[in-house]
Amino acid sequence: MFRGALSIWGRDMLVLKRSIFSELLAVVAYPLTLYLAFGFGLKGYISDVGGIPYPLFIAPGLISMTAVNAAFDESSWSMWFHRRVQRTIEEYRVTPVTVYDIVIGKIFSGFTQGAIKGAVVFLVILVLTPFRMDLGHLPAYVLCLALASMIFSCLGTICGTVIDKPENIGRVQSVVIVPLIFMAGIFFPLSSYPAQVLPLIRLLPTTAVFEGARDALLFGSVPPLFLVNLVLSAALSFVLAVYTFNRKMAE
Amino acid sequence: MIKAITLREITKSYGSFTAVNRFSLEVERGTVFGLLGPNGAGKTTLIKILTTLMRPSAGDARVEGFSVLTQGKEVRRLIGVVPQENNLDRYLTARENLILHGRLHGMKPAAYHPRIDELLEMTGLASRQHDFPDTFSGGMQRRLVVARALVHEPRVLFLDEPTTGLDPQSRRALWEYIRGLRQSMTVFLTTHYMDEADALCDRIMIMDHGVSLADGSAAELKDAFSRAHTYEVEFRGDPQGYGEILAALPCVRSLEKEGSVYRLTLSGEDALKPLINSAVGADIRRICLKEPSLEDVFIALTGEKVRE
Repeated sequence: MFRGALSIWGRDMLVLKRSIFSELLAVVAYPLTLYLAFGFGLKGYISDVGGIPYPLFIAPGLISMTAVNAAFDESSWSMWFHRRVQRTIEEYRVTPVTVYDIVIGKIFSGFTQGAIKGAVVFLVILVLTPFRMDLGHLPAYVLCLALASMIFSCLGTICGTVIDKPENIGRVQSVVIVPLIFMAGIFFPLSSYPAQVLPLIRLLPTTAVFEGARDALLFGSVPPLFLVNLVLSAALSFVLAVYTFNRKMAE
Repeated sequence: MIKAITLREITKSYGSFTAVNRFSLEVERGTVFGLLGPNGAGKTTLIKILTTLMRPSAGDARVEGFSVLTQGKEVRRLIGVVPQENNLDRYLTARENLILHGRLHGMKPAAYHPRIDELLEMTGLASRQHDFPDTFSGGMQRRLVVARALVHEPRVLFLDEPTTGLDPQSRRALWEYIRGLRQSMTVFLTTHYMDEADALCDRIMIMDHGVSLADGSAAELKDAFSRAHTYEVEFRGDPQGYGEILAALPCVRSLEKEGSVYRLTLSGEDALKPLINSAVGADIRRICLKEPSLEDVFIALTGEKVRE
């Protein structure tokens, strides 16, 4: 069972291994720039948020953002490329593997890329900046990061499956993914939102990702409501991704 | 005995357009079967149905006894597919492409490594096995796609226009590989090239608009369409003036003149003697039977109009 998924995941990891340094350089540069620009640039203006120093406040979100962006990018572009350009999905489909193997393999590739890239940004921020945390908080944070990567990998898979024109994947990123990420309180506390909007913002899976990750990293536990949100979102997006891919392949 | 391929009343429709219409076919094991037809005839749709990439709107097809509708996994275990386009993974080397295919078929390294060595040798790609397919010529990429389809030793090999875009040398090299496979498996190929079908196929079917128009060996098809008995005749001296005499002969059904050569369609082989014994018989310098080519048969069945 899932032998095919494992083979497809193995293929993606082999390709990642070949270009790991250039990939990581590109991935690390963006969040590190944001950390330096906001964490240090605004340090004089924003001393702390709810008692947490501002650079410490934004660091967990930047690490999570790297992970979810990498998961979404890998899943969406890889699925689109294999389906529309290389047509390797067709080659997979004339072997005894099932469509479930293919979609699960691709989702796990996105998830792994998210986890690896998130971990590397975490290490870089740890080495290059004064950001420090209790290592005992790591398991809760990794759990949060894993669920977030899974959600975004599934969303990417859905986009790569249903979108035929590459520019439309870019548009989804600009119009849906980036606002979802930035609205979820990476750079500012959720209390900044008007009281009427706040309940809606709290329901967003990205809020659960970034607030949950911050609580996990700084305090060692994910608030139960965020955890439930993350688990349900991951399960729902997984079912949707598998269903969408299955439907598309049956056309 | 189980047939390698059986199609029963297969129909595939897209809205009001019917790509394949109640198509039935049986292919014996060990046959090289060629499906010919112009663009849009329904050839690729049939291959997609047989390789489980597409579900028919009605009917069922079986490959080695397994239904494409209900036993897709078993079907895919037994088939190798060479698609129209080279869908190689450009981020994997030639050898890695073959390894991935072996793994997707559940093969263990001890089984796929020797097989891959053998196939790379057979296709002349052994020295380039660690290179990426992007650096290969079109012919080499095609050979790699064929090698990939053979890694798991399929019982039925589907080739969808396998030599399109290749130079004559690469085409002939590929024909050699396909000829070499006929002992060990059933080959189902589609092609636009009549010489390819003529050279490779034991049995040929010509289809258009989703239905079969003719079925048989290349010789049978040509024979069926050669009943008109067309001959080319050249005369000694000035060819003018023979036309009227020839047209008046009862055994001549039609007459065309191209330069100094008359092309006659006779009523049958028996009509040759009256022609020789006629008034123009003594002036004939050369007479030869014009054998119809497979292309003549194809054009006669599918028409000369260019398809969209």
